[in-house]
Amino acid sequence: MDVIEISNLYFRYSKREEYLLKGLSLRVRKGELLAITGESGCGKSTLLSIICGIIPHIRKGEIEGEVKLFGREVRDMAIRDISKEVGIVFQDPDSQIFLPTVEDEIAFGPENLMVPREEIGLRIERALKAVNMEEYRLENPNNLSGGQKQLIAIASVLAMETDILLLDEVMSQIDEDGKDKIKRTILNLHREGKTMVIVDHDIDNLSLADRVLELKSGMLREFKGW
Amino acid sequence: MHYIEIRDVDFEYEKGKSVFQNLSLNIDKNETIALMGPNGSGKTTLGKLMAGILKPTKGQVNVFSRDTRDIPLHEIGLRIGYLFQNPEKQFFANTVYDELGFVMKIKGYDEEYIKEKVEEKLELFQLKGLVNHSPFLLSQGEKQRLAIAAVLMNEPEYLILDEPTTGLDKKRKDMLLNLLFMLKNQGIGMTIISHDRRFVERICSRFIYISRGEIQYDERA
Amino acid sequence: MTREHNLDPRTKLVIVLCLSTLGIAVNNLALLSAIALLSYVAASLFRANLKRTFRKIKSLIYMLLFIALVQSIFTRGEPLLSAGGFAILTVNGVERALQFILRMAIVIFSATIIGTSSSRSIIQGLVQWKLPYDIAFMAALGIRFLPMLREEIRDSLVAIQLRGIDIKNIPIKERISLYSYLFNPLLVGTLLKAERLSIAMEMRGFRAYDKRTSYLVLKFTKLDYLIMFFSIAITAVFLIISYM
Repeated sequence: MDVIEISNLYFRYSKREEYLLKGLSLRVRKGELLAITGESGCGKSTLLSIICGIIPHIRKGEIEGEVKLFGREVRDMAIRDISKEVGIVFQDPDSQIFLPTVEDEIAFGPENLMVPREEIGLRIERALKAVNMEEYRLENPNNLSGGQKQLIAIASVLAMETDILLLDEVMSQIDEDGKDKIKRTILNLHREGKTMVIVDHDIDNLSLADRVLELKSGMLREFKGW
Repeated sequence: MHYIEIRDVDFEYEKGKSVFQNLSLNIDKNETIALMGPNGSGKTTLGKLMAGILKPTKGQVNVFSRDTRDIPLHEIGLRIGYLFQNPEKQFFANTVYDELGFVMKIKGYDEEYIKEKVEEKLELFQLKGLVNHSPFLLSQGEKQRLAIAAVLMNEPEYLILDEPTTGLDKKRKDMLLNLLFMLKNQGIGMTIISHDRRFVERICSRFIYISRGEIQYDERA
Repeated sequence: MTREHNLDPRTKLVIVLCLSTLGIAVNNLALLSAIALLSYVAASLFRANLKRTFRKIKSLIYMLLFIALVQSIFTRGEPLLSAGGFAILTVNGVERALQFILRMAIVIFSATIIGTSSSRSIIQGLVQWKLPYDIAFMAALGIRFLPMLREEIRDSLVAIQLRGIDIKNIPIKERISLYSYLFNPLLVGTLLKAERLSIAMEMRGFRAYDKRTSYLVLKFTKLDYLIMFFSIAITAVFLIISYM
């Protein structure tokens, strides 16, 4: 089943002349671990923003073409509904984490969706287990290393229990040790059947994936190595 | 006399949280040094001690034979250029042009002279097309180039770069390397703080590995 | 769920409100001193980190003393200290200055009391008191990001000096542009971070609905009720004494 379907996507930011994405198409199957790479500025992060509806709902731009999640057009869905199907983790943990304890942070998402307290408790446990950070439940995220903060950012998005997870350059600012932990988490989630799209410019991080595509000149094609 | 001398330095951020104890290190200008180690090892702290941004709790840090406690920061800055891990931390102007020229402007240099110097750097660092862009809205690679260009406006003789490869793809890393080689050939010494082994191996001549506040090894290539 | 044997943040809010009300409404110096002392004792009882607060506002203290001095100079009354027929210090002036200092002390000490609760529990306290949750979150976010501002100002000063600028010897006409240069990274950095954070929050469902559930639930204990009662009672007593 195609979980994400993009057909003939054209996109450009409002004040630019050139199109960033030019007739891009993509199909992502359920349970797939897809990696997208490309030079910086090529539009990888923009593509993720379009998949999860940040564009056009929060950020503006000129979009044409089909972008569907489970068969529904993203532009016709409200963010609140999209957030139940797609989760996204960004590059900078300090721009995602803002609450005083890890537990507060992970509970934040489900609380917004009016998930009942008991279920929230279970989700916190599951999320912490998935990233292997159970012992840090009551810790202040500010005291954690960059890699650990990212794991908490991932856990807080996992608590939304979406079918799809988007990871936007999540290892860019992290050291080797942290990267290993994040990669291990990604592999575990893959094993559990999570559909994931990872964007990264570092080829070392792409080897985890089932399929690697390169975004070049506004379109996706099979990645054949640098 | 070495260019930078770290003598029996103790450093702690807060009472009881010691980063270094009795650290000693000598650095010469003609070496290209890689300062490596995991996060939290103290390598950034060491870089800041070297640039005089931090002062030792005990012991002494000498740069060009003077104690960093006795030199005002702006004087150090004219000879040792420091590049923060996050280039945004050192951007102050609203345009790329201004970012390169504002220091000289404040100091009262002639406008024509400033223009000449700025255009030199714009050419060298491939920033010509971005002259009127905001430094904060550039891509990571562009910010990197701008930060280095800005620091080089003072024509320093030494550079300390903190994790310069953060967020750069392979092509941009190669470009950065070429830039650093060019500077090295001009006689500019440098210390590169990085956990990217492959990157530093291509340019550095001395490798210092720090873990938990101690130098684990210090080897020359 | 309760994590520590800490008082409900709402109780602390009540205490702070009481102290602040007294600080504003009372004029008598003796009473104000007593209230200031009370605030200090309360802050210590809550084990507020007074040393750290003191360090953080050291520069502010100089400004406050300056304001106090100015206030006293510009208040007329019985002269205490004169020079050439012009009264520099008057009794009323000194009284005003002391009132000001004591009021500030009360505000500062009571503010530290709030700092002993986590931002999440303060948000929850406000929400359980029926404040709309988005306002409560925005307020708490402000509290979280403000202390970072101080460090960022320091970093900015360091960075600009490293570019070769001697901040102590800048000609007056360049000083203004210097400040605007200094504040640029702070402003832009804060705005960018705020934007990214708000997007991250929205993608985790923030403001999806008018209400939200909470994993953290605050419940008043007998001690909370007791302390609130006494705070209000003592406040009433002080107010009555003050107006007699």
